[in-house]
Amino acid sequence: MTEKEEAVKEKTAKWVFWGGTLASLALFLGLTIETHRQFDALTHADKLSLEVVAGKRAFEKHNCNDCHTVLGFGAYYAPDLTRAYNRLGETTIRRRLENPEVVFANSFRKMPNQGLSEEEVTNITAYLAWISGIENNDWPPQHSEGTWKRSTERILAAAAMSPGAALIKQEQCLSCHKLGDSGAAIGTRFEWIGKRRNALSIAEFLVDAEKYAPGCGMPSYTHLSAEQRQSVAQFITALSAKPGR
Amino acid sequence: MLFKTQKIAYPYFVIALLLFVLQVVVGLWLSVNYFATVPQSVVDVFPFSTARAIHTNLLVLWLLLGFMGATFYLIPEETGRELEWPRLALAQLALLSVTGVVAIVGFIFGWTQGRPLLEIPRPLDLAVVVGALMFLANVGITVLKARRWTVTQGSLLGGLTFLALLYLIGIPFYSNTAVDWYYWWWVIHLWVEGAWELIAAALTSFLLIKMTGVHRSVVEKWLYVELGLFLLTGIAGTGHHYYWLGAPRYWLWVGGFFSALEPFPILLMVVDTYRHTREGSHGFRPRLTWVYLLGGVVLHFVGAGLFGFAHTLPQINYYTHGSQVTTSHGHLAFFGAYVLLNLTFFYFAMPRLKDLPGDCGFEEKLGHWGFWTTSLGVLGMSLAFAVAGVLQTYLERMQGQDYMATQAPIRFWMFVVFLHGLVVVAGVVMTVWHLLTLRPAAAATASSTARQGENIAIEAV
Repeated sequence: MTEKEEAVKEKTAKWVFWGGTLASLALFLGLTIETHRQFDALTHADKLSLEVVAGKRAFEKHNCNDCHTVLGFGAYYAPDLTRAYNRLGETTIRRRLENPEVVFANSFRKMPNQGLSEEEVTNITAYLAWISGIENNDWPPQHSEGTWKRSTERILAAAAMSPGAALIKQEQCLSCHKLGDSGAAIGTRFEWIGKRRNALSIAEFLVDAEKYAPGCGMPSYTHLSAEQRQSVAQFITALSAKPGR
Repeated sequence: MLFKTQKIAYPYFVIALLLFVLQVVVGLWLSVNYFATVPQSVVDVFPFSTARAIHTNLLVLWLLLGFMGATFYLIPEETGRELEWPRLALAQLALLSVTGVVAIVGFIFGWTQGRPLLEIPRPLDLAVVVGALMFLANVGITVLKARRWTVTQGSLLGGLTFLALLYLIGIPFYSNTAVDWYYWWWVIHLWVEGAWELIAAALTSFLLIKMTGVHRSVVEKWLYVELGLFLLTGIAGTGHHYYWLGAPRYWLWVGGFFSALEPFPILLMVVDTYRHTREGSHGFRPRLTWVYLLGGVVLHFVGAGLFGFAHTLPQINYYTHGSQVTTSHGHLAFFGAYVLLNLTFFYFAMPRLKDLPGDCGFEEKLGHWGFWTTSLGVLGMSLAFAVAGVLQTYLERMQGQDYMATQAPIRFWMFVVFLHGLVVVAGVVMTVWHLLTLRPAAAATASSTARQGENIAIEAV
């Protein structure tokens, strides 16, 4: 036995054990109670409808969480779904759930078609919509509402002179798409499209959306001229935030 | 081996080892999914999610069977009394093994609870609970009747009870996702950074007492301090999982502060273990067991302590959370902390269970190969995961690129993971083969006088 070992008497050792354990436990349980007081507000529990809960059950039944993360938890094989509803919108989510083999035909990573019923698709979509509203300190960073808001505020300020912006208003695109904190989450968020597509493919898409995304339900914009479609497309691609912070 | 009923540990170890092999093979398949394109027809039938459920559940199952076997070996020696109901222990093994097999076959057919790591369907949870009760009753009654209390025993029993109780929290359906994850972590975090640490510390101190000849009171005094620090940092440290799930903001402070301290008890464990193995009155033999024990605590510290600390602070975790960085930490931490500890215990107990002549020494060569191959394989794999994780963090989280766009450059690193996976599978097969076919050392008989383990046990009684 060394001197140092003898210095720490067994009594002190026991004290460290019980003191440390009980202090930590008391703090943890106390904060757990406090956290429960805030959960309802932070998660908007009043919007936890039967549909949403059924969606959670379907989500678990098909083991979605062992490929995807939700709130960053789960497997890392597929994109995080915390803000999926906010960035993809309802019809895009439905199409992916219904026909993943079509949507991801060209992807190097596939999603299984689990033969979901119409009801399950509706419920899972409702579940994802509810999750997207959870106030979780603005995680994940790549889908941060704060960043979206700031980037669009800048652009909207300059958009008054943009013909693309005027057309988006005239055609009421925001009744389906989200832009900044306005618009509806039925179609895909404009910033998200702008980041992933170039102006040419967006302009093509406006001619015949069904051709590129069967079942998406978006009308065709052939009543606009090719130049007009091009300026809408350019406006959308201009929305994408520059890489980096 | 001093008591007949210690033999029960043997079938536990054998089944655990076979499941271990299966686990790493499934892991290899998972890595293929990341770098190759698996065709839709295969994905529809056997998706990544199913394979992952099998990989993780096999891990938990074999580690727990290993711990249980170790407990059955340890308890008679610590209490100085035969296990009360040896047949119940065998029935328990049969029940848990069958439950495990049914669960895994069930996953393939889509029968799942659908929550990561807790995929075992609820009806089977009942079987697990029955198995756990059989176990606790058996061990509990043996300890009670023996009326001989040691800190090692207490820590082990405390850890096992804590483990069983926490499992119950993972069974119900929670309709609110945030609340669901809040309590999911009570199972996952408080298992690996609470209950399992108690078990690990107890098994380590038992091995040290038996193998080094350092006096029990010294080892156990430090055990108290280690456990206190583990629980002080580990319980409130659960908060590092509560940053982004919809819980109040103060968890960023609590989780960050306590989890930043989590490496210290592990470091203390490394120092203690090293010192005890040096200070012991007799040399630590066989050498392979020493390599395993030291290798285990060191990788425990690197994997759980350092790799954990690297992304536990909220300022960093905001960007790394839910990325391959977590995978990197998870693999090395589980391997260092719990896989190697189980294997250390197997290497201590199996020669004794087989009653090898001559101080329970054995032919070690293949075992050393197994240790280094597996350990370097897992270490390399974790580093490859770490590179993938840092890439993902930068491209997806900081630059804001699309998830799938960030997965393209990661494919290469997942191929590197796969290559290391091959090494790991080879190492595990070597280790398991070696453990199951232990042979006495060639020059075993002459070397030392009496069996160290037994000497000390007798002295302690």
